[in-house]
Amino acid sequence: MTAIPPVLVLVLAGGRSDALRALGRIRTASALPYGGKYRVIDFTLSNCVHSGLNRIGILTQYAPLSLHGHIGIGRAWDLDRRDGGIRLLQPYVRQRETNWYRGTADALLQNRNVIEDAQARHILVLSGDLVYKMDYAELIRFHEEHDAALTLVTVTAPSDEPERYGYVHADRSGRVSGLEEKPKRAGGGAVSGAIYAFRAKELMDRLRRPGAGPDLVCDVIQPMIAEKTRVFAYPHRGYWRDIGTVESYYESNMDLVRPAPPLNLYDPDWLIYTPSEDRSPAVFGVEAAASQSLVSHGARVEGTVRRSVLFPGVHVGPGAVVEDSIVMHDTRIGSGARLRRAIVDKRVVIGAGALVGQAEGSAEDSRGAAAPGLCVIGKGSVIPASTRIGPDALIEIGVSERDFPGREIAAGSVVRPTGRLAAARGVNGGSG
Amino acid sequence: MSFVSYAMILAGGLGSRLCILSEKRAKPAVPFGGKYRIIDFSLSNCVNSGIYDVGILTQYRPLSLRDHIGIGRPWDLDRKRGGVELLQPFQGWAETDWYRGTADAIQQNWIRVEEREAEHLLVLSGDHVYRMDYRPMIEAHLASGADATIAIAQVPREEARGFGVVDLDGEDRVQGFVEKPASPPSGNISMGVYVFRTSALHAMLREDAERDTAHDFGRNILPAMVGSGHVQGFRHDGYWQDIGTLDSYYRANLDLLRPDPPFPLEDPRWPIFTPSTEFPPARIGMRAEVRASILTHGTIVNGIVERSVLFPGAVVEEGATVRDSIVMGETWVGPLAEIRHSILDKRVHVGPRARVGYGTDLTPNRSCPEHLSSGITIVGKETRIPEGVTIGRNCRVSANLIEEDFPEDTVPSGGVMERELNVAH
Repeated sequence: MTAIPPVLVLVLAGGRSDALRALGRIRTASALPYGGKYRVIDFTLSNCVHSGLNRIGILTQYAPLSLHGHIGIGRAWDLDRRDGGIRLLQPYVRQRETNWYRGTADALLQNRNVIEDAQARHILVLSGDLVYKMDYAELIRFHEEHDAALTLVTVTAPSDEPERYGYVHADRSGRVSGLEEKPKRAGGGAVSGAIYAFRAKELMDRLRRPGAGPDLVCDVIQPMIAEKTRVFAYPHRGYWRDIGTVESYYESNMDLVRPAPPLNLYDPDWLIYTPSEDRSPAVFGVEAAASQSLVSHGARVEGTVRRSVLFPGVHVGPGAVVEDSIVMHDTRIGSGARLRRAIVDKRVVIGAGALVGQAEGSAEDSRGAAAPGLCVIGKGSVIPASTRIGPDALIEIGVSERDFPGREIAAGSVVRPTGRLAAARGVNGGSG
Repeated sequence: MSFVSYAMILAGGLGSRLCILSEKRAKPAVPFGGKYRIIDFSLSNCVNSGIYDVGILTQYRPLSLRDHIGIGRPWDLDRKRGGVELLQPFQGWAETDWYRGTADAIQQNWIRVEEREAEHLLVLSGDHVYRMDYRPMIEAHLASGADATIAIAQVPREEARGFGVVDLDGEDRVQGFVEKPASPPSGNISMGVYVFRTSALHAMLREDAERDTAHDFGRNILPAMVGSGHVQGFRHDGYWQDIGTLDSYYRANLDLLRPDPPFPLEDPRWPIFTPSTEFPPARIGMRAEVRASILTHGTIVNGIVERSVLFPGAVVEEGATVRDSIVMGETWVGPLAEIRHSILDKRVHVGPRARVGYGTDLTPNRSCPEHLSSGITIVGKETRIPEGVTIGRNCRVSANLIEEDFPEDTVPSGGVMERELNVAH
C-alpha cells in the first residue's frame, strides 16, 4: 500500500428504512445482521482499514443503540487507537440551535468541527448500509490524479427496482455531466454507489453556503455538477448491493449461499471484520441435513437446512426444515416446524410443527411459479405450535402467543402485538 | 470473598505421548474441539471463577502458546492490575536455570507469589478439559485450614494408573498420594488442581530444591506434604478429561459429537473463551452432507462429513468423505479423498482421491506401538499427501512432508513416514 494523503472518513449510518419493515424499526439499516455473523456496516469499516484509512466518524441518528453496541471502541477493526480511530457522532444539544440531523448534508454540517479539526485533504463520505468490497486507496488516488473536487463511485444498476438509484452521466474521461436521482424510467447503465470522495475545502464551502439545503445529493452534488465543478465518476466493477428493502436485503444474503457466490467472504487479504462472540462451534446432530447454507458458531442443527443463512445460536429442532430463509441470533425453531422464504429476527421462538411462509394447500414447493412474498418475523416474537403462516405475512416485533387470532394466518396479513406489554417491548428499543 | 486471587498454570509439558501433535507445540497449545486450545479450559475457569491474575509457566516450545495467549484479551486478562503473564525460564544472578520440573518452575518464579503477598495460591495444569468453579474449593480449603487441597475426580480403579492416586479418609483428608502407581489403591485421582497455603508450599519447595528429586508436584511435593502436613481432598463431579495420550485426545474430541455430550461446549453460564478467527461462517455446499459433527467458522464443506470435528478454514471438497476424524485449521481435503479415523494437523493438503486411515488392518505403529495401536492415523502439520496415495491405520505421517517424500502409492497400517527415513532407504 502506498501512502495516501490525509483522509477523513465519514460514514452515514443514521437513516431509517421503513422498507425494512420490522427488521428496520429497531435498528438502522447499517446495523442489520448480515451473512451469518456480520452487521452490514462491517463491510464499510473493513474496507476502510484494508485501505489504510483509520480516521473514521460514524454519523448515527435513528435507533443507534444496536450500532453503538456493535462498534464499541472499534476493537474488532483495530480502530481502538490513539491517533484517529472511530468516533460515533450522534446529534447533540448545543447552546444556540439544536436539531436532529435534517438530512445527509445537514448531518455533515453539524459535524463541521470534526471535519475542520481533522485537517484532512479529502473527505470520504460513505454509507453504512451497503454491501461491497472496495479499496478506497485506489479511489483516492484516482480522485487526486483527476484533481477532482468530487469523485463519485458508480456501479452497475442492479436489475431490481431501477427507480431506487441515481443515474450518472459521464463522458469518456469520466467527467460527470449529470446525476439523475430516482428517475421514473430506467436510465440503464451506471448509477451512483453512494460513495463520495470530496476535496475537503470544496465540501465545507458548499455545506456552509447560506441557504444550502439538507440533502447531500440534491443540495451539494447536483449543484456541483450543474456548476461544472470538476466531478468525476470512478467505476466500481465488483459486487455492490444496497440492502435498504426487505427484498434487497434477502437477495443479498442469498447471494452468499449460491454455488459461486458473487461476493467472496473468504479472501484472506480482505476479510470482513466484526466483533466476535464467544460461542462454541456449530453442532450438527445425527439426523441433520444441510446444504447450500451458511452456519455460524453456536448454532445447533438437528433438522434440515437448505439455501439458508443461520446466525449464531440458532437452534433447528429435530425434523424441522428451514429453506431459503435467514434466521438471526438465538432463534429457536421447534421440532417439525417448516420455514420457507422467511426472514426471522433475533430471539424468535417458532413452535413445534408451525409452518411459516408456506402457501396454502400444499407445503411443497411451487417451482415454476413466481416466488411468493417473503415472510418477516420481528424480534422476540413467539409463534404458537402448529400455526400456519402464509407467504408475505408480517409478524411484528414482540408478538406473543396470545396475540395470534388463530392458527391460520393468511398470506399477506400482519400480526401485531396487543395489550400493554406491546408498547414496552421493542419499538423504541433500538438495540437490535 | 475468597483470599485466593492468583493462579499459576503449569503449561511447560513436553507431552510426548501426543506424538506429532505436540512435536511443535506445548501440550496446552494443542487445538481442541474445533476452535479451542487445551489451555482455554483452565484459563476460562479462572476468569469465570473471578480470578483475573494468572501466571502461565512455559518451557517447552512456548511460541504457539505465546501467540495464542497474546496479552490475554479473549479472557479479559489484558488489564492493569493482574492479567496474564507467561513465565518462561530466564537467566539471573543466581539459582536460575531451565525448569527442572513443575515444582522447580514455581520455585524459580516465587518472587511472583511473594509480590502478591497472597496467603493462598491456586496451582493448575494447562492440559485438562473440564469446567470447574474454583471458588467452592477455595472456600473448603480456607474452612478446613489445610496446607493444601487437591481436587479429586473419580475414575474406574484400573484407569487410575496413569494419574496421581489419592487415598482419602472418611473426612476426605488425604492419607496417601502416589503418582502413577502400578496397582492403584482407589479410583480417586488428582485433577491437577491445587490450592496451597503459600507458606506451607514455599517451605516444601525450598526443601525439595535442595534434594535430588524430579522436582515434580505429583511425584515429590504432594506425597511429602501428605506425610508432614494437612492435605485435604475436594471432590469434583463434572466432566474432567486429561489429554495425555492420542487416544484420550481423540476420544475427548469425539465425545463432543454425542447426541447428549458429556461436555457441552456451549454453556452461556460458563463460556470457554479463545481468540477468535476472522473467518466467515461455515459454508455448506450444494452436494454436502454434514452429520454428527462440529463445524467452525471458515470451514467449507462440499463433500460428506460425519462424526468429525472441523477447525477454522478446513475445506472438504466435492466427493470427499471425512468420517470419525479431527481436521485442524486450514487443512484441505481434495476431491474424492477419503479420511477415516484420522487426526490431520493444521494446513495438511490431502490430494484428490487419496485415502487416509484406510482399511481394517490394525497393525500397531512400528515406531511407537504404545501410543498408536487403536487404529488412529495421524498426519503432521503442513504435510502434502499426494493424489491417489493410500495410508493405512495406526500410521504416523510426519509434519512438512511433500509429495516427493511418498515414494510408494501405499503406506501400510502401522507405517511411519519421515523424511529422514526416506533418505536412508
